[in-house]
Amino acid sequence: MTLIVLVGLAIAFLLFMAFLNVVKSGNLLNETNLLFAALIFYAGAGALYLGFGVTGTESYVKFASLATWLGLIANTAAIAHRWYEAGHAPFSSVYEMLLSFVWTLAVLTLVAEKKYGVKVIGTITMPVAIVGVVLMQLLRTEVHPLVPALQSTWLHVHVTLAMLAYAACALSFALAAMFLIQDNMKTETFLAVTSASTLAIYASVVLTRFEKWGGLSLVAWNPEQKSEVFLSRGVRLFVTVPDLGWLMTLTLFVVAAPLAFYGLARWKKDESFLTLANRAVFLSILLQVMTLAMFLVRANDGRYPSLDADGLFPTSLAASPFILSGLVGGVFISLLYLLLLWRRQDLGRLLPSAENLDRITYKTICLAFPLLTLMIASGAYWANQTWGSYWSWDPKETWAAITWLVYALYLHMRITRGWRGRRAAYFAIAGFAVVMFTFFGVTYLLPGLHAYA
Amino acid sequence: MALDFRAVAHKTWRTIASIQTGVVLLILVVILAAVGTIVLQRPVTEPDEMQSAYSPQALRILDTLGLTDVFHSWWFLGLMLLVSLCIVAASIDRFPNSWRYFSRPYKYPDASFRRASHPQKSLAIADEESGLVAAERALHSLGFKPERVVREDHFGIFAERHRISELAVYIVHASLLLIFFGTIVDGIWGWRGYLSLNEGQTSNLVEIRDGSKRTLPFAIRCDAAGQENYKDGTPKKWWSKLAVVEDGRDVQKKEIVVNDPLLYSGVRFYQSSYGPNGKVDKLLLVAAPSNGSGQKQDIGLAVNDTVPLDADTTVRFAEFIPDFAVRDGQVYRKSNQLENPAAHLVVTSKKAGKDFDVWIPAMDGVADNSKSPYQLQATDLKMGYFTGLQVSHEPGQWGVWSGVVLMGIGLAFVFYVVHMRFWVVPVHDAKTGKYSLWIGGSANRNRDAFEQRFNDLVVLVEEDLKSIPRTSPREQVATVAGH
Repeated sequence: MTLIVLVGLAIAFLLFMAFLNVVKSGNLLNETNLLFAALIFYAGAGALYLGFGVTGTESYVKFASLATWLGLIANTAAIAHRWYEAGHAPFSSVYEMLLSFVWTLAVLTLVAEKKYGVKVIGTITMPVAIVGVVLMQLLRTEVHPLVPALQSTWLHVHVTLAMLAYAACALSFALAAMFLIQDNMKTETFLAVTSASTLAIYASVVLTRFEKWGGLSLVAWNPEQKSEVFLSRGVRLFVTVPDLGWLMTLTLFVVAAPLAFYGLARWKKDESFLTLANRAVFLSILLQVMTLAMFLVRANDGRYPSLDADGLFPTSLAASPFILSGLVGGVFISLLYLLLLWRRQDLGRLLPSAENLDRITYKTICLAFPLLTLMIASGAYWANQTWGSYWSWDPKETWAAITWLVYALYLHMRITRGWRGRRAAYFAIAGFAVVMFTFFGVTYLLPGLHAYA
Repeated sequence: MALDFRAVAHKTWRTIASIQTGVVLLILVVILAAVGTIVLQRPVTEPDEMQSAYSPQALRILDTLGLTDVFHSWWFLGLMLLVSLCIVAASIDRFPNSWRYFSRPYKYPDASFRRASHPQKSLAIADEESGLVAAERALHSLGFKPERVVREDHFGIFAERHRISELAVYIVHASLLLIFFGTIVDGIWGWRGYLSLNEGQTSNLVEIRDGSKRTLPFAIRCDAAGQENYKDGTPKKWWSKLAVVEDGRDVQKKEIVVNDPLLYSGVRFYQSSYGPNGKVDKLLLVAAPSNGSGQKQDIGLAVNDTVPLDADTTVRFAEFIPDFAVRDGQVYRKSNQLENPAAHLVVTSKKAGKDFDVWIPAMDGVADNSKSPYQLQATDLKMGYFTGLQVSHEPGQWGVWSGVVLMGIGLAFVFYVVHMRFWVVPVHDAKTGKYSLWIGGSANRNRDAFEQRFNDLVVLVEEDLKSIPRTSPREQVATVAGH
């Protein structure tokens, strides 16, 4: 009960603070306030779901889903407001897509909880939603008018379907992960996987952004125009934030440690290394939080030199949304592992049976696959209306097709070969990894026609 | 030998039709497509960008392997053909079975089927007829149309729904083949190009991607084109008024915008860009005689136009330089951007038998502005605009779109339409002499939801059976009559 009271008080306090702000500005129902309200409620829901995950107190769930409902209402209002303000469906920028992604995630969480009784799902989805809303606060942009190519109903259909499909894929991933827990997969396997994921995050940041003398390259930001700084068409200006590179490299080694100890334990067949590995996870979380804090402080403001141009340039968190979400995601993944390590027994009791989870995963993919198909089809139709070609093998298109093929393979293996359980769960997880790459990786690494998003 | 050949053919067929082959092929497609997004592709990359990204040897190897144009290489096309072949073979291999299943529904379960069937339930009944009637009523109330199956030595009830669901997967596979067919047709007979038109210009020459030109059997004329901006200056709308000219007549007219193309005899014209073409549409001038007598006159000139100023004086617009610089008494063209424009006009006087070079703006040492019999002053410079049109001919796209629609329908059937069957058979136990009602059911997917429905049915039948003895009107009448 204490947790409910605490969360309730925190929500009340934050709402009161927000209210004071509103009174000062005299504008109650603007988008920032609505999003802030959504953030407060989602955060409350996340805390309660997490509390439920850790302690298993059933009564938390009721309040958690109430908070989710309230957050969803605020979120819906924010979307409606944006829509009204812009005069078109809010799907044209990363910010606007996050808005609908978070919305879909909240809806699906409630559906999974009410319809299928997967109560603990909020423990995973709500923190994701919170990260989404925080990113939105940073990426908050003025309503940009649409360039001619984006003025099409088909675009809205396409992006809505994409968000729905990706949210369904995210859910199937969470369910598959839960299945693996219920299927008695060893805790140390989760250790290896979570550690490898955080390692991948830091490795990609360090490998692409480490600069000479221990700096970290970040995109320069123009606070007046609220946009990235471009040297020429498509070429961004990077600034070097000193020392952050060393810190990232250090964290890279520390997050690699649990994986190394796990490897040693497997190689030497010595269980005592696993205890060391768990301690290393603990250490890595501390260091990750420190890195995140440093990153937040250094990248949020200040002016830094650049290798490509003379003078000092400002940067902003809004200029590095992917690094930020990577760092937050890393902390979050490690925390989830700790939750599993400490509360495995309780989790086993709280989650639906492995058989049920397996079936719900399959059902979620049965929902995601037609949505993916329709998303690709509507995108092709739109491209045909705009560029005169329904398929041009641009990287985003190709990766969408790859995602579709991976899920098609999953369905074939399941239906004709009778794949159930672990193998199906691995497939569902791999499918979601491809989705993530299509969504983030392609935008970031393989630019093409989809320059808008 | 003949036998051997048949064995080999059979084995090949089995390999192509197997799901393993399909999976391996799909994984290959995934890998190669991923490679195609990572290696720079020639059709969408500038040649010098290719050269700076890879060393000459690496580039040669990539080119030889076709990795710089994966999606148009012969082996990718071959792979797609193999996938199609695999889908066709797998469908042919499995279709007869499904078709038998579909065309000759299994209506009466024999004893061994009844033993293995799940879910199933046996209920005690007084006699065969009352049991079957109760089952029929229950099935009706669940929305089924039960059918009495009467054979020589047995009878029962069969009810089903959505039998088409058994064939849905073939609809999906057929739709995929239709899409492939459409793209192959486009790959062979389709083409894409670019047509740039100045306002008022007519052309039938399309620039194809590979640099060649294609002559259309009709021409396109651009009557007007323009751009509308948002308040902050970003473009909101590009439009072009186009006319199709065939045999000297206008056969079709349309104002196109982005996302709304013009279609004429299978060729589509898409609004793709708009901007100044760097050429002067009209230079507006005021000409006043240098001696101060006579009237000022307004004239408008395009490049190379000659206009009379009086009986023996003419002015010609000789040259336009969008960005000029003067060095050593010569005028140079610095760039083609409209930065610092200059106009070269030639005033010819027959009386004096002399040409005067007039430059706007005036340039000392180059121009004879002050000597000219007329002083020219520019009032406005109207630049010409071009409209950029993407032109494409995609005869196969109807295959693609009908394939997409068919796939949507097929997937809806595959995932959400369940073939449900119920069997009801009265069973007479020879030893005890008692009758029981065997109820069985089956669904091709979503079995947990089906079991719920099956249980509902059993409950309904049970209730109906219990209520018959008490409420059957005939029985009550008989009792009354007996008294």
